[in-house]
Amino acid sequence: MNSNETIDFATLWFLSARTMAIAGEELHAVQEAATGLYAQAILGFTEEICLKAKDANHISNKTLIDCLSGVRQLPRELAEKILTGVMMISYADRKMKPLEVRWASMLASAIDVTPDDYQRCCVNARVIASMLRPHGAKL
Amino acid sequence: MSKSKTNFQFLERFDKRVAELARQAEKYVHTDPDSCMFKLRLMVETMAKKLTTLQMHGDISQDLGAMLGALERGGIVPRRQADSMHAIRRDGNAAVHGSPTPVPTAMRRLSEAYKISGWFCKMVKRGSQVKLDEFEPPKPPIPLDKATEQLHGKIDELEESIESRRNTTRESLLMFGPQENVDEVSRRITEELKALDNVAAAAGEPTIDADFVALVMAMDLEQIEEDPRHGGNTRKARREAEQQLEGIKKHLAEREKAFLEERTFLLEQRNNT
Repeated sequence: MNSNETIDFATLWFLSARTMAIAGEELHAVQEAATGLYAQAILGFTEEICLKAKDANHISNKTLIDCLSGVRQLPRELAEKILTGVMMISYADRKMKPLEVRWASMLASAIDVTPDDYQRCCVNARVIASMLRPHGAKL
Repeated sequence: MSKSKTNFQFLERFDKRVAELARQAEKYVHTDPDSCMFKLRLMVETMAKKLTTLQMHGDISQDLGAMLGALERGGIVPRRQADSMHAIRRDGNAAVHGSPTPVPTAMRRLSEAYKISGWFCKMVKRGSQVKLDEFEPPKPPIPLDKATEQLHGKIDELEESIESRRNTTRESLLMFGPQENVDEVSRRITEELKALDNVAAAAGEPTIDADFVALVMAMDLEQIEEDPRHGGNTRKARREAEQQLEGIKKHLAEREKAFLEERTFLLEQRNNT
């Protein structure tokens, strides 16, 4: 993946993640922190890539349809990583709102995951959510 | 500022202990910057404990880092104040563990403590009017020689650069870019999501009962985790994710260590001349 493709991939991540957080109706600091940690620790983006991905030139002109279309075109492994991360954001506050379910469902459809794959992503998401959040910490 | 004056007089009305620690830190800033940092750290810890008692329920860790984290996550301490409190905590810890504190660093933290104090007063007494004047740096007991002045200038430049690198790290980790209007982005995304939800509903997809979905998912997850088909993957995923997360934490800790080493190096150069 060249530098521009990596920035595009990172933009897809931040857009997917913030959509899930916004769908939850309240933006919690823990979700903010988890988004960046996941980007760097799990997806392997550098600080520079993360900053460029959130630059107005890259992110502000993209709609959710663009996001779904972009995720669909990603290699399967990367797309599943985005889905896992998005589910992690959703689990961070231990609640699910209708729009969160809808966003997860739309992403899963875009990637065309099987129920088994989806469940695996969910399990991994919960594992990571519990790791990124201190035990018993309040939101 | 004359010897009898203090920047922190206003604190007296709100919290006598915090005011006392601030005054002591101010007193030591030139003569014993390490002690200044101890006092500032204790001041921040006292503030954090008070805020935790006033605003949070449940069992909150007494570790300062964890306490600040909980206050920030709970939306009680805004980002700017949290950054300053963490900076004081970090430099206070470094001083406790033997890393020498330069005077410009202690002065910088003292000035930050002044700003935090104004905000703290409003938090402990809602509706109180606190108008902060410009922070007046305490004057050194004896005028600085040329070499010390130059060294302080270099340390100030280094502190600026460290601050800027820390900000870059912080901004890279956040969900939104520094130039983005979060409310506006949230409004736009919510509108788009609702429109997509309507399209899905019009296409015949069932209306979502989120609570039910969450309940089923939670029950499913317990079973899935016990299922050997997924259990193996889960353990592997945890190991991998833990390693990756540790890698990032280690990287951040090493950078903080490098910042301290850069500072110490400057001070040692001065001592060797």
